[in-house]
Amino acid sequence: MASAFLLDMTRCIGCEACVLACKAGNELPVEMQYIELIERTSGTFPNLVGGFENHRCYHCTDAACVAVCPTGALFKEDGLTRLDRDACSGCGYCVQACPYGVPKMVGGRSSKCDACASNVGAGGSPWCVTTCPAQALQFGDREKILAEAKSRVAALKDRYPKVQVYGETQAGGLGLVLVLPDDPETLDIPADPPLVPVTVDVWKHIVQPVSMGATALAAVGAGVLGVIARRNHLAELKELEEQEKAGVAAGGSESTEEER
Amino acid sequence: MARVDLQITRRQFLATGLAGTALAGTGMGPGRSNLSMRYPDPPWFATGEVVTTYNYCDMCPWKCGIAVQSVDGKVIKIDGNAPDPKSRGRLCGRGQAGVSFMNDPDRLQSPMIRTGERGEGKFREVTWEEALDYTAEKLLAIKDQYGPESLAIFGHTSGDFWFTDYFAQAWGTPNAAKPSSALCLSPRDEASTLTFGHAVGGHEPMDWEEMQCITLIGSHIGEDARNTVMQDFVEARARGAQVIVVDPRFSTAAAKADYWLPIKPGTDTALLLAWINVLITEERYDRAYIDQWATGFDELASHIQEFTPEWAAGITDLSADQIRTTIRVMADRSPQAVIMPGRHVTWYGNDTQRMRAEYLVNSLLGVYGRHGGMYFNKSPFLDSYPHPPFAVHGSSGGCSAEPGEESDVLPLGPSGKARADGAREAFLRGPTAMQELIDPMITDDPYRIAGLIVYGTNLLNSVPMPNRTIEALKKLDFVLAVDVLPQEHVAWADVVFPEATYLERYDQLSTVPHKTPFIQLREPAVPPMYDTMPGWMMARELGLRVGLDAFFKWETIEEYLNTRLRSVGSNLEKMHEAGGVIIQEGKPYLEDFEADGGTPFHTPSGKIELSVAELAEAGLDSIPVYEPTEEPPDGYYRLLYGRAPVHTFAKTQNTPDLSAVYPENELWINEDEAVALGYANGDRVWLENEAGDRTGPIAVKATQRIRKDAVFMVHGFGQQSSGLTNANGKGASDTKLMSRYKLDPISGGAGLRVNFVRLTEGG
Amino acid sequence: MSGHDHEGEILRYRTRQRIVHAVMASSFLILLITGLALVWGPLAFIAAGGWSRYLHRIAAVGFISVPFLYILLDRAGAREVLVESFQYDHDDVVWFKKMYRYALGRTSDMPPQGRLNAGQKLHHSAVIIFSAVIVATGIVLWGFKSSLSPTMLAWTAMIHDLSMLALTLLLVGHVFFTYVYKAWSSMATGYVPEDEMKLEHGKWVEELEHQVATGSES
Repeated sequence: MASAFLLDMTRCIGCEACVLACKAGNELPVEMQYIELIERTSGTFPNLVGGFENHRCYHCTDAACVAVCPTGALFKEDGLTRLDRDACSGCGYCVQACPYGVPKMVGGRSSKCDACASNVGAGGSPWCVTTCPAQALQFGDREKILAEAKSRVAALKDRYPKVQVYGETQAGGLGLVLVLPDDPETLDIPADPPLVPVTVDVWKHIVQPVSMGATALAAVGAGVLGVIARRNHLAELKELEEQEKAGVAAGGSESTEEER
Repeated sequence: MARVDLQITRRQFLATGLAGTALAGTGMGPGRSNLSMRYPDPPWFATGEVVTTYNYCDMCPWKCGIAVQSVDGKVIKIDGNAPDPKSRGRLCGRGQAGVSFMNDPDRLQSPMIRTGERGEGKFREVTWEEALDYTAEKLLAIKDQYGPESLAIFGHTSGDFWFTDYFAQAWGTPNAAKPSSALCLSPRDEASTLTFGHAVGGHEPMDWEEMQCITLIGSHIGEDARNTVMQDFVEARARGAQVIVVDPRFSTAAAKADYWLPIKPGTDTALLLAWINVLITEERYDRAYIDQWATGFDELASHIQEFTPEWAAGITDLSADQIRTTIRVMADRSPQAVIMPGRHVTWYGNDTQRMRAEYLVNSLLGVYGRHGGMYFNKSPFLDSYPHPPFAVHGSSGGCSAEPGEESDVLPLGPSGKARADGAREAFLRGPTAMQELIDPMITDDPYRIAGLIVYGTNLLNSVPMPNRTIEALKKLDFVLAVDVLPQEHVAWADVVFPEATYLERYDQLSTVPHKTPFIQLREPAVPPMYDTMPGWMMARELGLRVGLDAFFKWETIEEYLNTRLRSVGSNLEKMHEAGGVIIQEGKPYLEDFEADGGTPFHTPSGKIELSVAELAEAGLDSIPVYEPTEEPPDGYYRLLYGRAPVHTFAKTQNTPDLSAVYPENELWINEDEAVALGYANGDRVWLENEAGDRTGPIAVKATQRIRKDAVFMVHGFGQQSSGLTNANGKGASDTKLMSRYKLDPISGGAGLRVNFVRLTEGG
Repeated sequence: MSGHDHEGEILRYRTRQRIVHAVMASSFLILLITGLALVWGPLAFIAAGGWSRYLHRIAAVGFISVPFLYILLDRAGAREVLVESFQYDHDDVVWFKKMYRYALGRTSDMPPQGRLNAGQKLHHSAVIIFSAVIVATGIVLWGFKSSLSPTMLAWTAMIHDLSMLALTLLLVGHVFFTYVYKAWSSMATGYVPEDEMKLEHGKWVEELEHQVATGSES
């Protein structure tokens, strides 16, 4: 069963309670923050459209960060993208790969929302969800969340002609389903985030394992062969030595060898 | 095995124990069995038993009920307390950062007595015994020499009761003041008292559940992150309520509005008069309601003849069309259409009249006592702890005074001196005006104020004209600072009392006037950190040392609280078990009064007074008129200021988690103006006002979201205190640019939006 | 140069050459381990926290400096290795055809070889080429990672990884032949037994003898 967040941006009022509940509940160090409210405004005074991007992990089903992660520190679970910071090597590829610019390097390791894995595992909800004064957030089974998002959109058409669900299909389906009042571009959210490049798959799933396998095979082969070859060589040297001894008496050795 | 069981119990408790309502509809998450075991547990899963205590949040004055979970004497998580009518199980960002506030390494840790010059910040750490004895000695010396009125007491935040209300009244000084009065709420409460016969109350009595139209004038819901208001606003809007926002700035609320009126600053009264004009001339007002519940309508009707939308359009920079449309939207939804009484309303010195104009619109819409309008709040019933008669009536106002202890009578001190703030002369009425007590400290006029206790007020970052305040601090005989942090003014104190935070102390019960009046409990989650002390204990220890034993008869705070709670059939234990809150019945609607023939309006006429005789008698306008506000000179912008959702006043800038999220303020300036001046986003500038006062550097935020004639910044930054690691020198201080203010002749409020600034380079 | 300690031995690697080799070998090994930590889960603990990334960069500086160090310390040697590694004669072609015998430790019927046998030439030239590629991609990943698209990042990292695969396989071969032909001492002391050299690098020994004879010792 896949889980998902519902984030209704027609309700979000930008108060950042989620940001701080997340910091407090996950006991994040001061410099770490999984959610960021970014102001987005378009138009010119006084004809303005404004809002926030509630910037946080979108929990892509086809997650580029998971695809590029060399160590498996990033992984998918229950439809969500988890991060095991203990296993993170700090290569920063996830920072580069994420189409939403979500993971950050903090203290030399990747840092991003893990959907409060511990708290959810204990039967709770993510801390941002439980505190949100605007009740802009819900968490639960992705199918139900999607249905809820769609019914909200239907009800909001009058006030927001361009209201839409975001996240049903993007990146293989997002674990963060948004109700957006307007086109995603107005909040600087890509309407269609790029798919995980084929190159990444080739690199991660073919080149790296094949390379490591080849190296391992070569090393083992070289080891076995080395023992044999060295024995041969030592025998050859011994023979040579004997021949030389004999050769001192019976003439040059090289010619002997060439003749052979 | 036992360890594992304990762990699971705790996990479930933490996750689900509190926010039950929040989870009910959404608790569909995967169980632990689905969760990868490789995922590390947070550190607090490892040991100990979870203890829950109930409290009301002190991160802002709103006082949300909270449930605090601690493990092994360490506070782990703060959540909204589900049964509490303010928080309803949810909490804003500041509330979530309560643990960070408590654990701020910059906290004052020990009582101190000054060793260097005032302002140098040199102190020696002393025992509480020495600090209290020394302070008592100084206070008694002032009393002997100048009388008890010569001690001024300034207080803010939820523990201020013990000093600004209780100690002040027992001691006998009428010069106790709170910034929440004359620097914030006085105009709205005086306007309300004059019009309706009662103050608005700390919790605006908006009947959100059925509201159909909300109008905000300079209220910034979202940036002003009062939890309950955000919840109610979002819910009403989601239900389809129309939102009209009047603001020179495209605020978060404006971005959510159906109608945004980008008004020219200082012209709101003109807009309100035009709205009244439309309501009356188009006969869109609630005639039956006015006939039954108001007086002075005819006078009002003739007064507003000339104030047409066309007249207001020329003043406000709005179109007559906009003005007509918006009031019609309101009228169509009346009485479920309310102009929300703003909070910080001390803007231009004519603020009581502006608030009156708002109330007149609301009255014509018939909102008071109507479902979906504004209800009548009621204070919860709760007895005071018995004490001898106070030496002086309280008049510090604010929202933490015990109900019934405020009075319209101008209080006189025991030696016959009235308040030194010029009440009844410089201004008509209202609680003690803090900013008006600074001059007497310097001039000894009308009499000498020789001592000052500052409880939790960031004196130099909240009272305008900070240079004047410093001059006053230099001249005082004795200054006691009670605070949690080494705020800027603490360096000017003779004695410093470090206070335990709200999470570490019992405190006065919070009594909230409300639709369902309620009482909130504050019990400590953990013992005081360092060598700190709760405010009630300081006040009591001081009281016992200055001969006020009769007022502090209780031995323990538990005894004090239990005595009060007995009057509502409860005690600390019962209240804890009930979830930290006692909720009573209210009397919210007109029909509740009509039933017994009473009136909710305690004015001389027993009705809404559209025209106020008391004002006319004092030579003031009985019905609001528009008075033009001084315009910024060429090259200057009007300085507007407001809030960031994660900060409270000048209190939280140093809190590590909050500082991390919003470390410094920015200067909002219209993008076109910024370009013309040659500034780009992120450029650092200094600000200078007309008097030459400077502050900065502050980053430019060039934006389309503000008018061209004003600049805006978040209040509370630009603090100068080396003891505040995170806040020191961050951003610019709006207070330091307030080298003048305009006194409201009615309420004594200090109009603060009358300062003009320009952008300059360099320090 | 030759002392009585090295009776029956030839000086094959001068001290400065051995310094260059040591710098290259140690930096390469550090790069290999710290790089592998980014690829192989069980080694991730080395990289956790990011310190290995700094070590990788320090070692990278060492690795990149190798050619410059060689030129600085032993210009003639540097030129020699560069020139010789890319020149193959008829004997080399024959050598390659019989290479499997050489790999099995049998040198007796291999064609005579110069200072570098054909395999070593190929090894050196491959090392030079793949090192150039890995350094180039490494610099991109170091300094310009943030301006790469995910696709370009993957390409760059993939080429970097493939170069390392090549270099690692070359290392395996290098270690293999060193073991088989007991060549550990050559880089440790610089000296090799003369009789073995006659066997494996006949032309070189002849050349040396010729030089000694004509007095044009370098």
